[in-house]
Amino acid sequence: MSEQRVATSKVAGTWAWAFQRISAVLLIVFLGVHLYAAHFMDVGAETGEEPLITFDEVSLRLDQLLYIVVDYGMLSMVLLHGLNGFRTVLFDFDMFVRRKKLIDVTLWVVGIGTLIWGIVILFPFISGAGG
Amino acid sequence: MKISSFKWLFGRNSEFWPTNMKTGMWAWVGHRLTGLALVAYVFLHLSFISTASMAEGGADFDALMETTSQPLFVAMDFLLVIVVIYHAMNGLRVVLFDLGVGIRRQKLVFWVTMAISAVLIVGGLLAIWHLVFPEGVA
Repeated sequence: MSEQRVATSKVAGTWAWAFQRISAVLLIVFLGVHLYAAHFMDVGAETGEEPLITFDEVSLRLDQLLYIVVDYGMLSMVLLHGLNGFRTVLFDFDMFVRRKKLIDVTLWVVGIGTLIWGIVILFPFISGAGG
Repeated sequence: MKISSFKWLFGRNSEFWPTNMKTGMWAWVGHRLTGLALVAYVFLHLSFISTASMAEGGADFDALMETTSQPLFVAMDFLLVIVVIYHAMNGLRVVLFDLGVGIRRQKLVFWVTMAISAVLIVGGLLAIWHLVFPEGVA
Protein backbone atom coordinates (compact mmCIF):
# COMPACT_ATOMS: atom_id res chain seq x y z
CA MET A 1 0.00 0.00 0.00
CA SER A 2 1.25 3.47 -0.73
CA GLU A 3 0.11 7.08 -0.48
CA GLN A 4 -1.40 7.12 -3.96
CA ARG A 5 -3.47 3.99 -3.80
CA VAL A 6 -5.19 2.58 -6.87
CA ALA A 7 -8.51 0.86 -6.23
CA THR A 8 -8.01 -2.93 -6.24
CA SER A 9 -11.02 -3.29 -8.55
CA LYS A 10 -9.12 -1.24 -11.18
CA VAL A 11 -6.12 -3.56 -10.97
CA ALA A 12 -8.04 -6.83 -10.78
CA GLY A 13 -10.47 -5.99 -13.60
CA THR A 14 -14.23 -6.03 -14.11
CA TRP A 15 -14.43 -9.68 -15.19
CA ALA A 16 -12.64 -10.86 -12.05
CA TRP A 17 -15.05 -8.78 -10.00
CA ALA A 18 -18.18 -10.00 -11.77
CA PHE A 19 -17.05 -13.62 -11.78
CA GLN A 20 -16.42 -13.52 -8.02
CA ARG A 21 -20.08 -12.61 -7.42
CA ILE A 22 -21.48 -15.24 -9.78
CA SER A 23 -19.27 -18.03 -8.44
CA ALA A 24 -20.10 -16.98 -4.87
CA VAL A 25 -23.81 -17.62 -5.38
CA LEU A 26 -23.13 -20.87 -7.28
CA LEU A 27 -20.86 -22.08 -4.46
CA ILE A 28 -23.58 -21.64 -1.85
CA VAL A 29 -25.78 -23.98 -3.92
CA PHE A 30 -22.91 -26.43 -4.54
CA LEU A 31 -22.02 -26.49 -0.85
CA GLY A 32 -25.60 -27.37 0.08
CA VAL A 33 -25.63 -30.31 -2.36
CA HIS A 34 -22.10 -31.33 -1.31
CA LEU A 35 -22.95 -31.51 2.41
CA TYR A 36 -26.22 -33.31 1.76
CA ALA A 37 -24.57 -35.84 -0.56
CA ALA A 38 -21.61 -36.52 1.74
CA HIS A 39 -23.37 -36.67 5.10
CA PHE A 40 -27.11 -37.19 4.73
CA MET A 41 -27.93 -38.93 1.47
CA ASP A 42 -28.56 -42.67 1.67
CA VAL A 43 -26.90 -44.45 -1.27
CA GLY A 44 -27.73 -47.88 0.10
CA ALA A 45 -24.17 -48.95 0.94
CA GLU A 46 -23.25 -51.03 3.96
CA THR A 47 -21.66 -48.14 5.82
CA GLY A 48 -21.19 -49.66 9.25
CA GLU A 49 -21.17 -46.79 11.74
CA GLU A 50 -23.67 -44.21 10.61
CA PRO A 51 -21.72 -40.92 10.53
CA LEU A 52 -18.70 -42.44 8.81
CA ILE A 53 -17.92 -41.61 5.19
CA THR A 54 -16.58 -44.70 3.42
CA PHE A 55 -14.91 -45.43 0.10
CA ASP A 56 -17.78 -47.72 -0.98
CA GLU A 57 -20.38 -45.12 -0.14
CA VAL A 58 -18.64 -42.41 -2.18
CA SER A 59 -18.11 -44.89 -5.02
CA LEU A 60 -21.80 -45.77 -5.14
CA ARG A 61 -22.75 -42.10 -5.18
CA LEU A 62 -20.31 -41.43 -8.02
CA ASP A 63 -22.01 -44.17 -10.08
CA GLN A 64 -24.42 -41.39 -10.93
CA LEU A 65 -23.17 -38.98 -13.57
CA LEU A 66 -25.00 -36.15 -11.79
CA TYR A 67 -22.67 -36.34 -8.79
CA ILE A 68 -19.54 -36.49 -10.94
CA VAL A 69 -20.73 -33.26 -12.59
CA VAL A 70 -21.54 -31.75 -9.17
CA ASP A 71 -18.15 -32.69 -7.68
CA TYR A 72 -16.08 -31.49 -10.62
CA GLY A 73 -18.24 -28.40 -11.05
CA MET A 74 -17.77 -27.48 -7.41
CA LEU A 75 -14.03 -28.16 -7.63
CA SER A 76 -13.69 -25.78 -10.59
CA MET A 77 -15.74 -23.06 -8.91
CA VAL A 78 -13.89 -23.39 -5.59
CA LEU A 79 -10.50 -23.05 -7.28
CA LEU A 80 -11.56 -20.11 -9.45
CA HIS A 81 -13.27 -18.32 -6.55
CA GLY A 82 -10.54 -19.07 -4.01
CA LEU A 83 -7.58 -18.14 -6.18
CA ASN A 84 -9.41 -15.11 -7.61
CA GLY A 85 -10.09 -13.96 -4.05
CA PHE A 86 -6.46 -14.53 -3.10
CA ARG A 87 -5.48 -12.46 -6.18
CA THR A 88 -7.69 -9.60 -4.97
CA VAL A 89 -5.98 -9.67 -1.57
CA LEU A 90 -2.52 -9.61 -3.21
CA PHE A 91 -3.41 -6.63 -5.40
CA ASP A 92 -4.09 -4.52 -2.31
CA PHE A 93 -0.30 -4.43 -1.93
CA ASP A 94 1.88 -2.37 -4.24
CA MET A 95 4.65 -4.93 -4.32
CA PHE A 96 2.26 -7.43 -5.89
CA VAL A 97 0.56 -4.93 -8.23
CA ARG A 98 4.02 -4.34 -9.70
CA ARG A 99 4.28 -8.07 -10.49
CA LYS A 100 0.74 -8.48 -11.84
CA LYS A 101 1.73 -10.56 -14.87
CA LEU A 102 3.84 -12.98 -12.83
CA ILE A 103 1.06 -13.42 -10.26
CA ASP A 104 -1.62 -13.98 -12.90
CA VAL A 105 0.45 -16.65 -14.64
CA THR A 106 1.38 -18.34 -11.35
CA LEU A 107 -2.23 -18.45 -10.14
CA TRP A 108 -3.44 -19.92 -13.44
CA VAL A 109 -0.75 -22.60 -13.29
CA VAL A 110 -1.57 -23.43 -9.66
CA GLY A 111 -5.30 -23.43 -10.44
CA ILE A 112 -5.15 -25.64 -13.52
CA GLY A 113 -2.61 -27.94 -11.86
CA THR A 114 -4.82 -28.34 -8.81
CA LEU A 115 -7.89 -28.90 -11.00
CA ILE A 116 -6.14 -31.76 -12.83
CA TRP A 117 -4.97 -33.22 -9.50
CA GLY A 118 -8.51 -32.92 -8.11
CA ILE A 119 -9.98 -34.64 -11.17
CA VAL A 120 -7.47 -37.50 -10.99
CA ILE A 121 -7.85 -38.23 -7.26
CA LEU A 122 -11.55 -38.92 -7.76
CA PHE A 123 -10.84 -41.68 -10.36
CA PRO A 124 -10.47 -44.50 -7.80
CA PHE A 125 -13.96 -43.72 -6.46
CA ILE A 126 -15.48 -43.56 -9.94
CA SER A 127 -13.89 -46.78 -11.25
CA GLY A 128 -14.13 -48.63 -7.93
CA ALA A 129 -17.93 -48.44 -7.85
CA GLY A 130 -19.51 -51.55 -6.37
CA GLY A 131 -22.47 -51.53 -8.77
CA MET B 1 8.66 -4.74 4.60
CA LYS B 2 10.17 -1.91 6.65
CA ILE B 3 9.24 -1.43 10.33
CA SER B 4 7.90 2.05 9.56
CA SER B 5 5.49 0.82 6.89
CA PHE B 6 4.37 -1.97 9.22
CA LYS B 7 3.57 0.71 11.80
CA TRP B 8 1.75 2.74 9.15
CA LEU B 9 -0.36 -0.31 8.33
CA PHE B 10 -1.05 -1.75 11.79
CA GLY B 11 0.02 0.92 14.32
CA ARG B 12 -2.13 2.93 16.74
CA ASN B 13 -3.02 5.55 14.14
CA SER B 14 -3.57 3.07 11.31
CA GLU B 15 -6.94 2.13 9.84
CA PHE B 16 -6.46 -1.45 11.10
CA TRP B 17 -6.04 -0.56 14.80
CA PRO B 18 -9.12 -2.16 16.44
CA THR B 19 -10.56 1.07 17.91
CA ASN B 20 -10.22 2.80 14.54
CA MET B 21 -12.23 0.14 12.72
CA LYS B 22 -15.97 0.51 12.15
CA THR B 23 -18.51 -2.21 11.37
CA GLY B 24 -17.88 -2.39 7.63
CA MET B 25 -14.12 -2.57 8.15
CA TRP B 26 -14.47 -5.45 10.63
CA ALA B 27 -16.69 -7.25 8.13
CA TRP B 28 -14.08 -6.71 5.39
CA VAL B 29 -11.15 -7.89 7.54
CA GLY B 30 -13.17 -10.92 8.63
CA HIS B 31 -14.05 -11.75 5.04
CA ARG B 32 -10.40 -11.72 3.97
CA LEU B 33 -9.14 -13.78 6.91
CA THR B 34 -11.87 -16.41 6.51
CA GLY B 35 -11.29 -16.42 2.73
CA LEU B 36 -7.58 -17.12 3.11
CA ALA B 37 -8.31 -19.84 5.66
CA LEU B 38 -10.80 -21.49 3.29
CA VAL B 39 -8.30 -21.54 0.40
CA ALA B 40 -5.87 -23.34 2.70
CA TYR B 41 -8.63 -25.75 3.74
CA VAL B 42 -9.48 -26.70 0.15
CA PHE B 43 -5.92 -27.94 -0.42
CA LEU B 44 -6.04 -29.92 2.83
CA HIS B 45 -9.41 -31.37 1.78
CA LEU B 46 -8.06 -32.51 -1.61
CA SER B 47 -4.99 -34.07 -0.01
CA PHE B 48 -7.26 -36.11 2.28
CA ILE B 49 -9.32 -37.32 -0.69
CA SER B 50 -6.12 -38.27 -2.51
CA THR B 51 -5.55 -41.08 0.03
CA ALA B 52 -8.17 -43.05 -1.90
CA SER B 53 -5.59 -43.82 -4.59
CA MET B 54 -2.96 -45.01 -2.09
CA ALA B 55 -4.34 -48.45 -1.28
CA GLU B 56 -6.52 -51.01 -3.08
CA GLY B 57 -10.23 -50.58 -2.38
CA GLY B 58 -9.67 -47.24 -0.62
CA ALA B 59 -8.43 -48.81 2.63
CA ASP B 60 -6.30 -45.77 3.46
CA PHE B 61 -9.20 -43.45 2.76
CA ASP B 62 -11.49 -45.42 5.08
CA ALA B 63 -8.84 -45.38 7.82
CA LEU B 64 -8.45 -41.62 7.49
CA MET B 65 -12.23 -41.12 7.63
CA GLU B 66 -12.29 -43.25 10.78
CA THR B 67 -9.68 -40.95 12.36
CA THR B 68 -11.37 -37.73 11.27
CA SER B 69 -14.67 -38.85 12.80
CA GLN B 70 -13.09 -38.67 16.26
CA PRO B 71 -14.48 -35.92 18.53
CA LEU B 72 -11.40 -33.68 18.27
CA PHE B 73 -11.59 -33.59 14.48
CA VAL B 74 -15.35 -33.03 14.47
CA ALA B 75 -14.79 -30.12 16.86
CA MET B 76 -12.37 -28.67 14.31
CA ASP B 77 -15.03 -29.23 11.64
CA PHE B 78 -17.24 -26.96 13.72
CA LEU B 79 -14.63 -24.19 13.35
CA LEU B 80 -14.90 -24.77 9.61
CA VAL B 81 -18.69 -24.47 9.86
CA ILE B 82 -18.35 -21.06 11.55
CA VAL B 83 -15.79 -19.82 9.01
CA VAL B 84 -17.81 -20.99 5.99
CA ILE B 85 -21.11 -19.58 7.25
CA TYR B 86 -19.57 -16.20 8.08
CA HIS B 87 -17.86 -16.00 4.69
CA ALA B 88 -21.00 -17.08 2.80
CA MET B 89 -23.39 -14.74 4.64
CA ASN B 90 -21.08 -11.72 4.53
CA GLY B 91 -20.37 -12.50 0.87
CA LEU B 92 -24.11 -12.51 0.20
CA ARG B 93 -24.27 -9.07 1.81
CA VAL B 94 -21.51 -7.83 -0.52
CA VAL B 95 -23.40 -9.22 -3.54
CA LEU B 96 -26.60 -7.48 -2.37
CA PHE B 97 -24.77 -4.15 -2.10
CA ASP B 98 -23.32 -4.58 -5.58
CA LEU B 99 -26.86 -5.10 -6.85
CA GLY B 100 -27.80 -1.82 -5.13
CA VAL B 101 -29.82 -3.51 -2.39
CA GLY B 102 -29.50 -2.21 1.18
CA ILE B 103 -26.43 0.02 0.88
CA ARG B 104 -28.12 2.86 2.77
CA ARG B 105 -28.73 0.51 5.68
CA GLN B 106 -25.43 -1.34 5.47
CA LYS B 107 -24.95 -1.70 9.23
CA LEU B 108 -28.45 -3.09 9.70
CA VAL B 109 -27.90 -5.51 6.80
CA PHE B 110 -24.62 -6.61 8.41
CA TRP B 111 -26.30 -7.42 11.72
CA VAL B 112 -29.21 -9.19 10.00
CA THR B 113 -26.80 -11.44 8.08
CA MET B 114 -24.88 -12.06 11.31
CA ALA B 115 -28.12 -13.02 13.06
CA ILE B 116 -28.91 -15.49 10.26
CA SER B 117 -25.32 -16.78 10.53
CA ALA B 118 -25.75 -17.33 14.26
CA VAL B 119 -28.90 -19.39 13.67
CA LEU B 120 -27.17 -21.48 10.99
CA ILE B 121 -24.13 -22.02 13.24
CA VAL B 122 -26.36 -23.23 16.09
CA GLY B 123 -28.03 -25.57 13.59
CA GLY B 124 -24.60 -26.89 12.60
CA LEU B 125 -23.66 -27.38 16.23
CA LEU B 126 -26.85 -29.36 16.91
CA ALA B 127 -26.18 -31.55 13.85
CA ILE B 128 -22.70 -32.59 15.03
CA TRP B 129 -23.16 -32.40 18.81
CA HIS B 130 -23.54 -36.17 19.22
CA LEU B 131 -20.30 -36.73 17.31
CA VAL B 132 -18.27 -34.37 19.52
CA PHE B 133 -19.79 -35.67 22.75
CA PRO B 134 -20.67 -39.32 22.01
CA GLU B 135 -21.05 -40.08 25.73
CA GLY B 136 -23.21 -37.03 26.37
CA VAL B 137 -22.21 -34.14 28.62
CA ALA B 138 -22.28 -34.81 32.36
